[in-house]
Amino acid sequence: MSGLTTGGIYAMVALGLVVVYRSTGHINFAHGELYMIGGFLAYSFITQLNIPYVAALPLAVAATFALGAATDRLIFRRLEHSHETTLVLATVGLSFMLKGISRFFWGGRGEYLTIPPIVDPAPIFVFGIPVLAQQLVVLVAAIVIMFACLLFFRLTIAGKMMQAVAENPLAAYLTGIRVEQVRTWTWGAGAAIAGAAGVLIAPLSLLTPDMGFSLLIKAFAATVLGGLGSVAGAIVGGFCVGLIESLAGGYVSSSLQDVSAFIIIMIVLIARPTGLFGAFRLRRA
Amino acid sequence: MNAFTRLVAVCFALAALLPLISNRYTLFIGDAMLVQIILAIGLNLLVGYAGLLAFMNGALFGVGAYALAVLHDGQHWPYWLALPVSGVVAMVIGVAIALPALRLSGLYLALATVAFAQFALWAFTHWDRVTGGPSGLKVTPTDFYPFPVSSETGQFYLSLLVAAAIFWLTRNLLRSRIGRAFVAIRESETAAEAMAIDVTRTKTLAYALAALYAGIAGGLFAPLLGLVVPESFDLFQVVFQFAMVVVGGMGSLAGSVLGAALMVWLQEGLRAFKDLQEIAFGGLILLTVLFLPGGVAGLLRARFGWREPLHRPTQRHQPHASA
Repeated sequence: MSGLTTGGIYAMVALGLVVVYRSTGHINFAHGELYMIGGFLAYSFITQLNIPYVAALPLAVAATFALGAATDRLIFRRLEHSHETTLVLATVGLSFMLKGISRFFWGGRGEYLTIPPIVDPAPIFVFGIPVLAQQLVVLVAAIVIMFACLLFFRLTIAGKMMQAVAENPLAAYLTGIRVEQVRTWTWGAGAAIAGAAGVLIAPLSLLTPDMGFSLLIKAFAATVLGGLGSVAGAIVGGFCVGLIESLAGGYVSSSLQDVSAFIIIMIVLIARPTGLFGAFRLRRA
Repeated sequence: MNAFTRLVAVCFALAALLPLISNRYTLFIGDAMLVQIILAIGLNLLVGYAGLLAFMNGALFGVGAYALAVLHDGQHWPYWLALPVSGVVAMVIGVAIALPALRLSGLYLALATVAFAQFALWAFTHWDRVTGGPSGLKVTPTDFYPFPVSSETGQFYLSLLVAAAIFWLTRNLLRSRIGRAFVAIRESETAAEAMAIDVTRTKTLAYALAALYAGIAGGLFAPLLGLVVPESFDLFQVVFQFAMVVVGGMGSLAGSVLGAALMVWLQEGLRAFKDLQEIAFGGLILLTVLFLPGGVAGLLRARFGWREPLHRPTQRHQPHASA
């Protein structure tokens, strides 16, 4: 069960990664830090400003959206013409900067912050299995948010614009879509999904500025497993990574959880590089 | 021999005089700079020239250091044998990890190596029997008998010799058809393939060289510190090494030398403000990428116009983006 919950979080973070990757062709290495900042913002809103959790969630999501959109305006848009490597390096620099800044605001190394649980911490029983209500809430919320994202891409004009820009920027531009503006929205949307994941996991885990990186690697494993660039693949991959990890942790060794991402990535790359759902493109020309 | 080569040769010659005028601390810093120069040259070869993004350099640096500690202090191998072997160990492990990803697009290499960086750190910390766990391994100072030098001075000269040799070899390699193949792959894999360049093999070669350099740098670093601990090779190494390459100048060997020296100097300056280091090095990468794409080397080249073979990544053309 906890595997499903963490899987849901992995799936959300991976979804944000893939949304940005599909539309811009870049992997955002600062994505984990956006997730971390979402969690810390929720902490500040709830314990320092006494805002209820239900209100803190949209606030933190809006803030991470603004942060993601701002990084595009200030950094990534200027690098549109540079080599792919340059842009990824910029996201790496950004990720460490965000981590350092969070350490500055929310505490240094080795300190953990916690949020009081939002529901009764006593376990409830589902089909005879003890389940933490909190985990159930997180799982349901993650599924709802991901479902909403999928509907957004399928049904709204804005979502279709994002898909058009991802598919063929030049053609999208010729049909009157403001490619740059849509990209800004996409970076923002990716960040917002990560931020939402951070807020959801906050009551279940300890917050530390270093939490973003290990989550990012799990999300990488999810995207590689699902097939880089596939939205459905990212979600399924996320749940798979969460389940594999908790099963391996339970049956083999709990220390395997830390390295499950690496092992999954290596196995997928050797056995089936396109992932479960086929790849967007294996080689970029 | 052009002006550029002469300048670098003079720098290395001047560095050889450092032990005569320095105390233990400045000698240590000088040696650390040389080790980082070797790392930066390898990473630049990979990222700046071949355009491959990989995050394993810090981890393989650690593999080299641990290999040296195990071989030199655990198995009592002589240092002159343990050093190259630890470089080879890092290379073999690095290539084994990267081989599946090297066949695919660059992003897979980035993803696989970033996961490896985390895995290596985990192995350094948890594989107690070999790595000594969180408390690490001790490394005895190298004995340079029959040369009449102390182990610190000897270590410095050895690092200097290795750094100069690697610089010279890499420079010549980059001028050969292999070096041109690296740049061709960076600009377009399809075009490179059309010109009969074996893309996977060339990428693997660039990667193997970077891994070998990282391992050798680790082997030089271990006796310098006298202690090999996991913290030396954590994620901060990633941002630190990228900062050296980016600030120095992508696709410029002289830039890597400059960048490494500058970043080590900056880190020493920031030693008292540990929390600022992540912001400083991350911010430096961002600012350089945005406002000084050629790095310090690009700036100097524009000012003084020295000639250096092959240049930094060119701008990519995207017609729609000008809107």
